[in-house]
Amino acid sequence: MDLALSETQQLVRDSVRDYLAREVPFDRIREVERSGSYDVELWRSLQQLGWLGLPFPEAIRGSGGSIADLAVLIEELAKRAAIIPILETMVAALTIQRFGDNAARETVAAVLAGGAIVVPAVLEANDRFDDVRMAIDGGRLSGEKYFVDYGADATHHLVAALRDGEIALYLVARDDPGVKVEPLHTIGRAPQARVTYDGATATPVCGGDGYRYLVRLGRALAAVQCLGCAQQALDMTVDYVSRRVQFGQPIGSFQAVQHHCANMATMVESARFLAYEAVWAVDHDLASDEQVALAKAWASRSVAEVTMQAHQLHGGIGIVEEYDLYFFSLRGKERALAWGSAEECLAIVAGSVDQREDWLPMWPSAST
Amino acid sequence: MDYGWAQEYVDFREKVRALVDEHDSPEIHLEYSQEDRRGPRTAAFRKALDGRGWLRMCWPVEYGGEGKSPWYQFILIEELEYRAMPYGLLSVTSVAPAIMAYGSDEQKKRYMPGIWDGSVSFAIGYTEPEAGTDLASLQTRAVRDGDDWVINGQKIFTSGAHSATHVWLAARTDSDAPKHRGISMFIVPIDAPGVTITPMYTMSGLRTNQTFYDDVRVSSDALVGEENRGWYIVAHALNHERVGLAPTGGLGRSFDALVQYLRERRPEALEDPQVRMRLAEMRMEVHVQRALATTNGSIIANGGTPTMEASMAKVWSSELRHRLHSLAMDLLGRYGGLTRESGDLAPANGRLEMIYRTSPILRFGGGTNEIQRSIIAQRGLGLPR
Repeated sequence: MDLALSETQQLVRDSVRDYLAREVPFDRIREVERSGSYDVELWRSLQQLGWLGLPFPEAIRGSGGSIADLAVLIEELAKRAAIIPILETMVAALTIQRFGDNAARETVAAVLAGGAIVVPAVLEANDRFDDVRMAIDGGRLSGEKYFVDYGADATHHLVAALRDGEIALYLVARDDPGVKVEPLHTIGRAPQARVTYDGATATPVCGGDGYRYLVRLGRALAAVQCLGCAQQALDMTVDYVSRRVQFGQPIGSFQAVQHHCANMATMVESARFLAYEAVWAVDHDLASDEQVALAKAWASRSVAEVTMQAHQLHGGIGIVEEYDLYFFSLRGKERALAWGSAEECLAIVAGSVDQREDWLPMWPSAST
Repeated sequence: MDYGWAQEYVDFREKVRALVDEHDSPEIHLEYSQEDRRGPRTAAFRKALDGRGWLRMCWPVEYGGEGKSPWYQFILIEELEYRAMPYGLLSVTSVAPAIMAYGSDEQKKRYMPGIWDGSVSFAIGYTEPEAGTDLASLQTRAVRDGDDWVINGQKIFTSGAHSATHVWLAARTDSDAPKHRGISMFIVPIDAPGVTITPMYTMSGLRTNQTFYDDVRVSSDALVGEENRGWYIVAHALNHERVGLAPTGGLGRSFDALVQYLRERRPEALEDPQVRMRLAEMRMEVHVQRALATTNGSIIANGGTPTMEASMAKVWSSELRHRLHSLAMDLLGRYGGLTRESGDLAPANGRLEMIYRTSPILRFGGGTNEIQRSIIAQRGLGLPR
């Protein structure tokens, strides 16, 4: 048990943080928001600098890092409010790499080489991970998928559909004539879509094991995105209340303000532990659905609470569009809903809440 | 980053569980619930713990330890808290680290073995009637007289003084210095002439005390650390105390006791999705406590001293203590209010209502939660004082 970041993780954090501070000003995020698409330039740079290969084996020209290393990257991107399909593509590609056959893995190679963007398309109108209705029919898919992040921008969709009553994942090309994409507009101001498949050609990738891995991984990494938004909102607030003078002194010297900040920091600190623990456990195949759901529930709660307190302590300036706080309160709340809201996730915890478990789970160490 | 445990820790926990299984009985808990918290079973368990060296294994070899990682103590305390077994509490988690950090070699050799085997136990003598949260304004005085110190004054909420062997006492040694810089720490034998103890009974059923010091004479080796540097020793001890006050085990045990009672006696309640959601919420909050406690453990295991993190864990666990037990009692309805004296009708042997009654203490004890939040903001986040 050691929560300190590894050397690799510190390197990832520092170099990505420096790069984003230098190359991605918040005004560019505003432009990307208005464009309705993703930050093409940033995505290309990340690909060229090799970051998209971070959690993939060196044999396929990745850098052989862990999923926890990837989570550090994703947290930094969330703290910069970057609008790129990093979570979606990594979750899809990691699932394909692990559960797909060689043909499917060519898509992963294409992601690393810079040609492909793959995004999961799971939810339907009922918004449920455990009740997918779309079914494969003679190698083709028909029906609607909702809430597909970056659905219009992707080259491929990794679509959840039933095969003989069991859930499975299929690759569908975005440019298939049977794929129609309509944009959805969300509080997070990042691209999302409703996708209609009309006899689209679907290539099988994997079955239920892969699907369950996909959801666990997506949920754990979405918790990290919530954490990133909350951390950034806390950092901005600490900075602001230290400088903002009223009644002749920085408002950060007032006890009421300090105590709000202390509560925010406590939520961030605990959300950090649980989110990274969930990522680590998924990476080592030790995670249960309940554990990941619990981490996401807390991250979702925390980001909404912390960003709302951040607004309270900023007052008027915090809600102005030229100020950068709204990125984190709005995107944070959207990420709080993504891959399972606090309520959905708590319902998963509730499902087995009468089962006894160890309060100090002791998984085997990764280093031995 | 590694959220897993080396096999040695998993094995150690199994050994702790096995020993606790041997000693856990209704009788030992009854002993522990008595006013002096003592008895033959308690003594036997402390002796068995000491025979295995578990309370001292994380300290250096020259003081009887084994130089093991602090994670051993973390696991040990979590298990003992879960099972509500006696282990010496603040003597072990707060005073011992302070003696190890600031005491003389002679003091370490003299007191540590007794702390570990239970023959030495400390009551904490910080608070005075006029010095609570503003602890640095304390007025109990120690004056040098030849080689001795003579102590006069009064302490309040000296919990455990009636069963302790010593008081870990903060006293003013320089009245002219700024108030933080005129305090020193002393180890005062409870049976020293001039020490008087009078009981105060609290709504939790626990006894606390007032202690009076009337020309109490102690020798020069009762002083811990440097003269007038006591405030920093108190701060160090309080930091450890806060970590020590915030294990997850006791909260987890209450959660388990509630669920077990519902399963056995009120199975229809567990069919109710609303009840399950309330329980899920509490399970999450207990895991938040585990996150904060383990974060502290990781900082200590890496050689650091938690400050902000210790306060976070203390605030969260003490406030969750109230929320968790209050919800448990709500879910149990009128049964939730029955005390242990109601016998079989009292859920979980009255544990839940009893801990509800103790839950105010930890919110203000060990430094009020208001002070803790200021520590988080000022020392942790760097906000202006």
